[in-house]
Amino acid sequence: MAQSNLATATATAPTPGATSPQRSAIPALKLAASKIGSFLFTVFVSSVIVFFSRWLVPGDPINFLLRGRSPNPEAIAEVTAIYGLDKPPLEQYWNWVTGIILHGDFGRSLQYRQDVSDVILGRLPVTLGLVVMAGLMIAILGLAAGMCAALVRGSWMDRAIVASMSGLAAIPSFVGAIVLIAIFAVQLRMFPSFGSGNGFGDMIYHLVLPSLALALSFIAVVGRVTRSSMVEQFAREHVEVARSRGITPAAVVVRHVLRNATGPILTVSGLLVAGLLVSSAIVEQAFGLAGMGSLLVSSVDRLDFPVVQAIVLIVVTAFVAINTLVDLLGPVIDPRLKAGEGAR
Amino acid sequence: MMKKPLTLALAASAILVLAGCSAGAAAGDVAAKPSFELSVNTPAPTGELDKLTWSIYAEPYSLDYAYAFDYADNQVLANVCESLLSMNPDMSVSPGLATKFENKTPTTWVYTIREGVKFHDGTTLTADDVVASMSRHLDPKVGSFWFSAYANVQGIEKTGAHQVTVTTKVPDALFNESMSGAAGVIESKATLAKAGTDYGNSTGGVNCTGPFELTTWQSGEKLNLARFDGYWDKDRAAKAKELEFVIQTDTVARVNALKSGEIDGGWLLPSNAIGELNASGAGQMYFGVNSTVSSLVVSNPAGPLGNPEVRKALLMAIDRNGLVQAAESGYATRTNALTTQSVWDQADAATQEAAFGSLVDYPYDVEAAAKIIQEQGVAGQEITITTAPMGNNFAVTAQATAAAAESIGLKATINTVTPNAYSALFSDPAAREGTDLFYTSWYLSVGNPLEMFSILRTGDFSNYGSWSNPEFDKVVNQGLQSTDRKVGFAKAAEAQAIVNKELPWLPLNESPTNLWMNNKITGASPSVNYLYYPWAAHIGSK
Repeated sequence: MAQSNLATATATAPTPGATSPQRSAIPALKLAASKIGSFLFTVFVSSVIVFFSRWLVPGDPINFLLRGRSPNPEAIAEVTAIYGLDKPPLEQYWNWVTGIILHGDFGRSLQYRQDVSDVILGRLPVTLGLVVMAGLMIAILGLAAGMCAALVRGSWMDRAIVASMSGLAAIPSFVGAIVLIAIFAVQLRMFPSFGSGNGFGDMIYHLVLPSLALALSFIAVVGRVTRSSMVEQFAREHVEVARSRGITPAAVVVRHVLRNATGPILTVSGLLVAGLLVSSAIVEQAFGLAGMGSLLVSSVDRLDFPVVQAIVLIVVTAFVAINTLVDLLGPVIDPRLKAGEGAR
Repeated sequence: MMKKPLTLALAASAILVLAGCSAGAAAGDVAAKPSFELSVNTPAPTGELDKLTWSIYAEPYSLDYAYAFDYADNQVLANVCESLLSMNPDMSVSPGLATKFENKTPTTWVYTIREGVKFHDGTTLTADDVVASMSRHLDPKVGSFWFSAYANVQGIEKTGAHQVTVTTKVPDALFNESMSGAAGVIESKATLAKAGTDYGNSTGGVNCTGPFELTTWQSGEKLNLARFDGYWDKDRAAKAKELEFVIQTDTVARVNALKSGEIDGGWLLPSNAIGELNASGAGQMYFGVNSTVSSLVVSNPAGPLGNPEVRKALLMAIDRNGLVQAAESGYATRTNALTTQSVWDQADAATQEAAFGSLVDYPYDVEAAAKIIQEQGVAGQEITITTAPMGNNFAVTAQATAAAAESIGLKATINTVTPNAYSALFSDPAAREGTDLFYTSWYLSVGNPLEMFSILRTGDFSNYGSWSNPEFDKVVNQGLQSTDRKVGFAKAAEAQAIVNKELPWLPLNESPTNLWMNNKITGASPSVNYLYYPWAAHIGSK
């Protein structure tokens, strides 16, 4: 998956959008409006798909609520009505969407008989901690590895870094999790093997191994993109010119190489967020963490569709929002995009 | 001491080979000796514990007693909430939150409510709390899972300062016994009103009278309980200050944590992990009374198995002793009944003899079974066995049954569905379409065999194969409506004989309750009553 992310990233690297040659604010606003418009449209379409796909799944939610216990016949009707399942699908969709927009209400969980928002909020700290820690590891280690390799490009060190990153990118997170548990939890006993601990500090300690397992293959992706876009910049004329003018190597790297290489790195990072959220389900299962990922897995298994719908919608929205943000940030970081310059 | 069971792979291949070659298989199967011993108790603890950690294989769906109808829910709830009556390790009942119960007329049960009992919030238990708690099962808006226990109830009324009277439409012998389980749990009326629909979930919580109170429920990970210092029964006060239930859905992680001592104990360990746990030396496995029978439910009356002779032939073609080894690693006993002897404990010896003494044995005899199939003219007909990836016993039983059917000339298909689709077999007639047989481990919640037989009556919700026998319906109803327990057991023995001859379900084996405690702790009784009795209160340090 890591590799396909890379491929998509290269394909969808920011291309100049607006064609107006003037450096006015209007095209920028237009661009922003169209990006936000397409964001809202994507979220709407996915909400429709997410909501109505339930009717494609065999099985009646009411049977799950009863779980094989002999029911009171009136109770079936009452419970169906309480969960709003007696209404026509379109009306159910309308109630669901307005509930979310007006009250932040995603409905009631069938498995926990609790508000979906409460169920998800209970799981949020672990997943957020996991994604934030993995994100930091990816940013720090990935950028560092990529920059190192780019600075010593062509040397044996560069080749070693590239080779090990290719290896890392091929490790699925569940394999990474098993290896990390075997080494650091079972053999060395440096970190706990399951659970999220008590309190903030303990949670960070418990999340070190899971976030590393989650981050491994993404570190490799970010590292490789960083390396290749920096190497590309090193070969560019303006870098040569800067060098020939006697600017210090450090300043050349920071001002001319790194800044111009930021675009692709940012785009890839945006796409990685989706991968992080998906892989977290696997890592959470492996480390016995009660996060949104493991909640999604158990909810799918238990046909708890209000929870599944809410999580999928939240993940899709987060993914689209981050990518919209990346698209909007592109011109700020790289003025050429704002100017609509075709050639680089 | 425990004998080492046959290795799993060997046993599994043996059974498939035996079931697969019809001509060469020897007739008759000698009863294998069980490789475990049952204990009534574990050594008494010598001291208190600061913290007891306990492994549960799944998260409770709810701690609302109206929805607590599973191993995970009930083993936690039993320590927090108490019932009108208390279930003893032998499944008999004693006074609980009711000091006395009287059957004043055949259709009235009068409960005298214990005085001086405090809820966890410090308020005092009253008859109003009892009426409010019990009435919820009748409320269609609640949709209680225990409705069947209340199906005959007409009224629940406060008839004195400390007295509640329940009237039933017809005499109902099972009702009073059900009051020792989750159906008889008493919660504070005020809490029920205040928590509303969030009652019993991880935000609403519960407020009962048990020896432990719920402090936090970290959904998906653990539940924390603390000793309740205002508990009414000094003999049953908790020896551990804290009790933590850790949710471990992964079997390997669960067994590892028990072996390493990271977690102190657990119920219901998979039988193929018992050998590994014993070998670790980290603690001890105990076996005790259970009410569970594993059987194959015949769910298609229109298929070849609608014919009782074909059902008999199929049961004879299954090597049930081999199955005990292969599916349960030897920690089970072959049976011909759909009830365990433990639920007959309170019947007299003569009735027990009548119930179990003359059961037809259906010995393993592939040749004789194949002959029946020929005689009945069903050779070559198809049956579908539905199973799910829910553990070794599911897989092995499905394969062995399919091989047995093939060995006598039927055509068998195994249909593997998701665990969720499998649960739907038990509630949705549409889900059972196209399925002839499915495996179940069925447990009884009271020490009364009539609970089992009541579900096989014509038209009952759980009579999955629409089996019908007027004589059976008659004796079961007579038993259920008699408040004389002797009559009840006698009628149950008649019902057991009919079921044994007709085989609406094919009985395979019964497994004991299993309990693991590590070397630091002791005190719980290994009995199926852990679902309704505050077992953790007795656990202390060794």
